Amino acid sequence: MKRKVLSLALLFIFVFSVVASGCIGGEKTTTQTGGAGYAEQIVIGVTDKVTDLDPANAYDFYTWEVLNNIMEGLVKYKPGTLEIEPALAESWEVNEDSTVWTFHLRKDLKFADGTPLKAQDVVRSIERVMTIQGDPSWLVTDFVERVEAKDDYTVVFYLKQPTSYFLALLTTPPYFPVHPSYSPNEIQSDQTAGGAGPYKIAKWVRDEELVLEANPNYYGEPPKTKRIIIKFYRDASTMRLALQNGEIDIAWRTLRPTDIESLKSEGKYSVIEVPGGFIRYVCLNTKAEPTNNLKVRQALAAAIDRQEISNKVFKGTVEPLYSLVPNGMWSHIDAFKEKYGDGNIDLAKKSLKEAGYDENNPLMIQLWYTPTHYGDTEADLAQVLKEQWERTGVIKVDIKSAEWGTYVDYARKGQMQVYLLGWYPDYLDPDDYTTPFLKSTANSWAGTGYANPTVDELLTKAQSLTDQNERTKLYEQVQKILAEEAPYIPLIQGKLFVVASSDVKGVTIGPDMIFKYSTIYKEKS
Amino acid sequence: MARGIGQYIVIRGLMIIPTILILYTIVFIFLRILPGNPVLAVVGTKNISPEQLQHLMKMAGLDKPLYVQYFDYLWKMLHGDFGVTLAFPMGKPVVEYLKLRFPATLELTIFGFTVSVLLGLLTGTIAATKKGTKIDTGMRLYSIIAYTLFIPWFGMMLQYVFGIHFHVLPTSGRIDPGIELQRITGLYVLDSILTGNWEAFASAIRHIILPATTLGIVLSGAYTRLVRNNMVDVLSQDFIRSYYARGVRDWKVTWYALKNAFIPVVTLMGLQFAILLGGAVLTETTFNWPGMGTFIVDRIDYRDYNAIQGAVVFFAFFVGLISLIVDIVYALLDPRVKY
Repeated sequence: MKRKVLSLALLFIFVFSVVASGCIGGEKTTTQTGGAGYAEQIVIGVTDKVTDLDPANAYDFYTWEVLNNIMEGLVKYKPGTLEIEPALAESWEVNEDSTVWTFHLRKDLKFADGTPLKAQDVVRSIERVMTIQGDPSWLVTDFVERVEAKDDYTVVFYLKQPTSYFLALLTTPPYFPVHPSYSPNEIQSDQTAGGAGPYKIAKWVRDEELVLEANPNYYGEPPKTKRIIIKFYRDASTMRLALQNGEIDIAWRTLRPTDIESLKSEGKYSVIEVPGGFIRYVCLNTKAEPTNNLKVRQALAAAIDRQEISNKVFKGTVEPLYSLVPNGMWSHIDAFKEKYGDGNIDLAKKSLKEAGYDENNPLMIQLWYTPTHYGDTEADLAQVLKEQWERTGVIKVDIKSAEWGTYVDYARKGQMQVYLLGWYPDYLDPDDYTTPFLKSTANSWAGTGYANPTVDELLTKAQSLTDQNERTKLYEQVQKILAEEAPYIPLIQGKLFVVASSDVKGVTIGPDMIFKYSTIYKEKS
Repeated sequence: MARGIGQYIVIRGLMIIPTILILYTIVFIFLRILPGNPVLAVVGTKNISPEQLQHLMKMAGLDKPLYVQYFDYLWKMLHGDFGVTLAFPMGKPVVEYLKLRFPATLELTIFGFTVSVLLGLLTGTIAATKKGTKIDTGMRLYSIIAYTLFIPWFGMMLQYVFGIHFHVLPTSGRIDPGIELQRITGLYVLDSILTGNWEAFASAIRHIILPATTLGIVLSGAYTRLVRNNMVDVLSQDFIRSYYARGVRDWKVTWYALKNAFIPVVTLMGLQFAILLGGAVLTETTFNWPGMGTFIVDRIDYRDYNAIQGAVVFFAFFVGLISLIVDIVYALLDPRVKY
């Protein structure tokens, strides 16, 4: 009897092992081969989510990326650069004071299903954004008085005020023409009709899979890869395993710094580094004790060592940032470095003493972070900041955390003293890195309560000027005031990393941080 | 006086209602006690006026008094309506998500359940027949280790071994990208059989092996102990000795003993099924399995009240239904049960 039972057990284990060793189905590569010398499909893994497939309401970076691949605007960034080139419009004119912009559309434009795309469609789509009043609608309504179709191929924008960076605004999804099947007055989060981009949506299962296929009616150069499949992952570690197991070809937003480091060292993957325009910073509540004290804010700013944050928390995958305007953008100055240096403990102690704090009467602060919204490194970032501030011997930090929904509620109500936030740009202009933070009528979301009439005036003036040199001077002034008053302390500027299997080529991501899938390909194996 | 089985089923069925009601109330209160709400989670750091915020709250129905919200949703549920999502996207019927996600969890649960019962029976039987030997000790040790395994850790170990090291099994998802499968039941293995799509069948089977094994092994420990103890009990009884005396074959005797030891295992199956669904949450997260578990976790991030309430109530109803079926089966199997 004993032998029989044992045999039964062994048989079970054997059968299971045979099945597990891939006899069923065998090993499968992620791509089949197609025409034109390239593989037919490429699979991209992401941990981000798509929110609304509707440019009238989508207002997050990854969804904007998807929209940029299934739609296009009148102009676009040349891949990999900040140079604006014609897209659906082949040419344009602007009047002298930048308030009337006229665009001439290409002839024979079509939506993905073959429906003709005319100037009226551009107007309809933009008016739809204005009507719906979704999250990103301000990118239109704050600037555009009205938009008209002069004929089938001419679109004219009449602006509320001179806006020198209007072309940059036009590259954003709220300005993309959408297929007529989009409801004129309702958000359609799962609408797959798209617009006139290089790809069209073939399949969409929310939070699971998005399949894009080359748009046969695209006016421009056809995409190199016929089918792009985007797989959505809940966390970075599962996505990393999928990449290592060949289930995906590309791991995109967002692997952890430690994953990037170890995948780099494996030497089997291409690791493409993209200069990112997203920034991380500390917010200080200027209306509540003890951070309403300027000297306290200056002490906190002085004690921070950004290089250490970059190395310890982010393994060198970010760069130190000394202003809210990112490195490399015109008008950027290292305002905080000039004023405080980096990890300047002596200066911090001096400021604290002036504020009335010493070893016997330490400054007690609560530092808040949100555990998931900015990735897995957030708790480490809070811990390193705590260590740096406590090095002064005069500050005691209590770390607290709250989930995103709660966190933003606390921020809006001004219930936190010191807290971490991050920012992705809406459009690439210094205005987008200053006005939302510092202008008293625009920064209620941040909860710092910061208001300075001089700064308000400078920002308003900078928005209306068209001369970049003059604007630069104004933004430099604003950054100096920011460093002086420290309602926000910039920490780091992110880089983005594309980790791809070594046979994937053609990854081009520019400063706009949008990954255009039409240039990527794999050679037929 | 014994009641009829029909009456017994009705009473047991009605007991599901207060269970669900209590659970719904707890979830409702917890979600409201926590600071923040779905509208704020969606708005995030966008610069909107208090008026706009109020408008969004009104659209989501969150401007009504709490008791109105509570009874509104309860009333809807009684009509099979789980409301609409409140975040990313807003206004999509929760039922649509449940239809999409539940089959994935059910499939994982069925496979995990099968693995756990088979492993439990096998190891429990071996332990009982080898009572007092090193093999018995080994099996008992297995049951303790399996029971204490942390699903995400164990799942990741299997992913490393069978995925990264041997490259024989996929580590995430339900099916290979690019394979088209006609959806009938939402259970990929079943759908691929029904449509005769053997490529999809092979892919679905390969994808389910690791998550089902993870879940199955972790839950098999409880069966091992129960089967072993019952089998030991049964094997020492007179009728077993009389089998041996009459020269009945070993495997036949074991089989008869197992049949007798099986009744308490059925009860455990019912209890385990509820735990199994809980374990599925962790397993789904580890293997990026697009089921109810990952859905609830995602929705908690957004504070999507309706989706969380709907999913939890649906889960509870399903677990209650399984428990009811198990009780009925048990009542039919064991004549000693009084209706």
